[in-house]
Amino acid sequence: MPVVELAEVTKAYQDKVAVNRLSFRIEPGQMFGLLGPNGSGKTSSIRMMIGITAPDSGAITLFDKPFTRDSLTRVGYLPEERGLYKKMKVLDQLVFMGGLRGLAAGEAQKRAVAWAKRLDIAQSILKKTEELSKGMQQKIQFIAALMHEPELIIMDEPFSGLDPVNATLLQDTLLELKAQGKTILFSTHRMDQVEKLCDSIALIHQGNLVLSGRVREIKGRYKRDRVVIEFEGDAGFLESSEIAEAKNYSGHAEIKLKENGDAQKLLAEASAKATIYRFELVEPSLEEIFIQSVGGKADA
Amino acid sequence: MHNILLIAKREYLEQVRGRTFLITTILLPAIFAGVFYLSFLSGKSSGVGKHIAVACGDAKLAGEIRTEILADPEAKATVDVFTPEMDGMLMDSDKAKLIAEVDEKKIDGFLWVDVPANGPIQATYEAQTSGDFVTSERLQSALNHALLRGRLVQDGISASAVDGLMKDVKIDTQQVKSGKEVKSNALSSFYSAYVMALLLTMTTMIYGLNVGRSVIQEKASRIFEVMLSTAKASHMLSGKLLGVGAVGLSQIGIWVAAGAVFAGSAFGMQLLSGNLKIHISPLQVTLFAVYFLLGYTLNAALFAGLGATLETEQELQQYSPLAAVPVWLSFSMILLISTNPNSPWVVAASLFPPCTPIVMFLRMGSQMPPMWQIGASVALMLLAIWAVLWFSTRLYRIGILMYGKRATLPEMMRWLRYS
Repeated sequence: MPVVELAEVTKAYQDKVAVNRLSFRIEPGQMFGLLGPNGSGKTSSIRMMIGITAPDSGAITLFDKPFTRDSLTRVGYLPEERGLYKKMKVLDQLVFMGGLRGLAAGEAQKRAVAWAKRLDIAQSILKKTEELSKGMQQKIQFIAALMHEPELIIMDEPFSGLDPVNATLLQDTLLELKAQGKTILFSTHRMDQVEKLCDSIALIHQGNLVLSGRVREIKGRYKRDRVVIEFEGDAGFLESSEIAEAKNYSGHAEIKLKENGDAQKLLAEASAKATIYRFELVEPSLEEIFIQSVGGKADA
Repeated sequence: MHNILLIAKREYLEQVRGRTFLITTILLPAIFAGVFYLSFLSGKSSGVGKHIAVACGDAKLAGEIRTEILADPEAKATVDVFTPEMDGMLMDSDKAKLIAEVDEKKIDGFLWVDVPANGPIQATYEAQTSGDFVTSERLQSALNHALLRGRLVQDGISASAVDGLMKDVKIDTQQVKSGKEVKSNALSSFYSAYVMALLLTMTTMIYGLNVGRSVIQEKASRIFEVMLSTAKASHMLSGKLLGVGAVGLSQIGIWVAAGAVFAGSAFGMQLLSGNLKIHISPLQVTLFAVYFLLGYTLNAALFAGLGATLETEQELQQYSPLAAVPVWLSFSMILLISTNPNSPWVVAASLFPPCTPIVMFLRMGSQMPPMWQIGASVALMLLAIWAVLWFSTRLYRIGILMYGKRATLPEMMRWLRYS
């Protein structure tokens, strides 16, 4: 039973088709990445999933039922366009948001305090929002999306604007939630973030689905034709007949092999000329797969 | 309903806790009381204490005009009778002399009465100020009284009989309400209604604009998308209208309570006596609340829709004269309303929803409008609110998610079609 299912969903604004016959499904407990460059239709797809806008055609089901607003109490949403009431105190704000999602005031307050401690902002809970830094405000929005313990968590560009420490903190929190069995959808144009977090992805470009499925399976479909070598000594092996393209950054070389290039042969040639500290046959990144799939027309 | 109330509560608490609420609650009535007390005092003192010269070829008539002016104790005037260079005749040089005296501010003005041997008498009042209609009226009355007195005496009626004939009679005003005579004071009734109409205007405009401002602030803070993932746009708008409306009612409640306490105090009773005695019936208080809610909702619905199409508060300010148009229209009819509150034009204006609250209250200053007209005005306002809400909700639903630039008219038309 999928938690979210989009079937042939289309949405157009005037002449521009934002989403074109998009179909994918998210299974329970999955961490799902909705990927694509800016303006590819990610936010439009998410807005339709939670009823902010309606699709022109196609069907959306949430928790195996056609979309109704009642099911939104089971969803936690962090939009890309984030906002808070600036003059409100943090705690009041969280209790208000909890109330909108069906929590009683006392319970909402208890959970808000617990989450604030967990994300290390307990000392700011009685301050007005406008007094807090951008990173802290983002944590509050994160709490607002999660405090009612939703089964489905939707995060649109959740790490944008965060410093590395806070990005890691929120990333770890998402992984904990996944371990608890929550289903998580996050959309991003930063494909490197998704590789280590997501089980499955849908890659969209100009409103069209480019590819979808489990990350391992998708990557498995593409040949390992890239080599990273860290070395000291003569770089003459970079002229090898096995190599199609090579970039040398003073002892760190990134190489693309020819169609039938032999990595083992290259290793032998490199060892003969230089001291090798690292030789790795790497699989293509999602970004490379994306560029390959859209024929180099991506604007990411 | 749960979400509407939550949103209304948040809006209410945020506004009530704000500094603006505190300042307007205290300052607005204080400014109003000050302005009206001052205008009342200045009304009483206008045309008072003038130094006037009366120039007339007929010295006897000039003396009688002077006597008539001085007979009015409220005028507190100083009146000189000008002696012309040539006895019994006014010359251009006399006028030049008087003009020089006005110029040098020795006198406030002069009444020039030309009595030709044949033809009608002509009189001119020339003064430092051109708009002193109170003094002009006093002089006109004094001149006519003096002429009439002279003619009557000339016709052989004794001076004492003329005095008796020309004694002024003061008119006492009584209002007929439900077939009964009720003592009334036209001036204080007018002022009470005027104050209530103005207060109604200010509050409905301020709180209507507040809703528009609040929509723009929320749009700028990008809170809408989070809110829309939990509440419907129509619930958000309803909650906002309810919350801000409750703030307005609370403020009016505070003013009514404070006013009642003040009116009941010894100082208040002393101050609010005579022409300043306030006549406000419980029905007027109830209707004030009803018309506030209706007028506020109409303005608020309009500005909520408009706010959703704009990006900044400055842009909203450019549209605020929209709310002021019915106010100008209503107050421009004030003379007609106070003298003829049941004329077809006044009735039509009081049934025209944007003008209803103000015109109805101005009418109440002269006469309570018939209940059917009050009922019809409420029904028409409800209809207008429904129509404005229909458009506004559609603009709001889409506009709150549109960032970056002010919506154009064709875009708004498209939004109406989308919804």
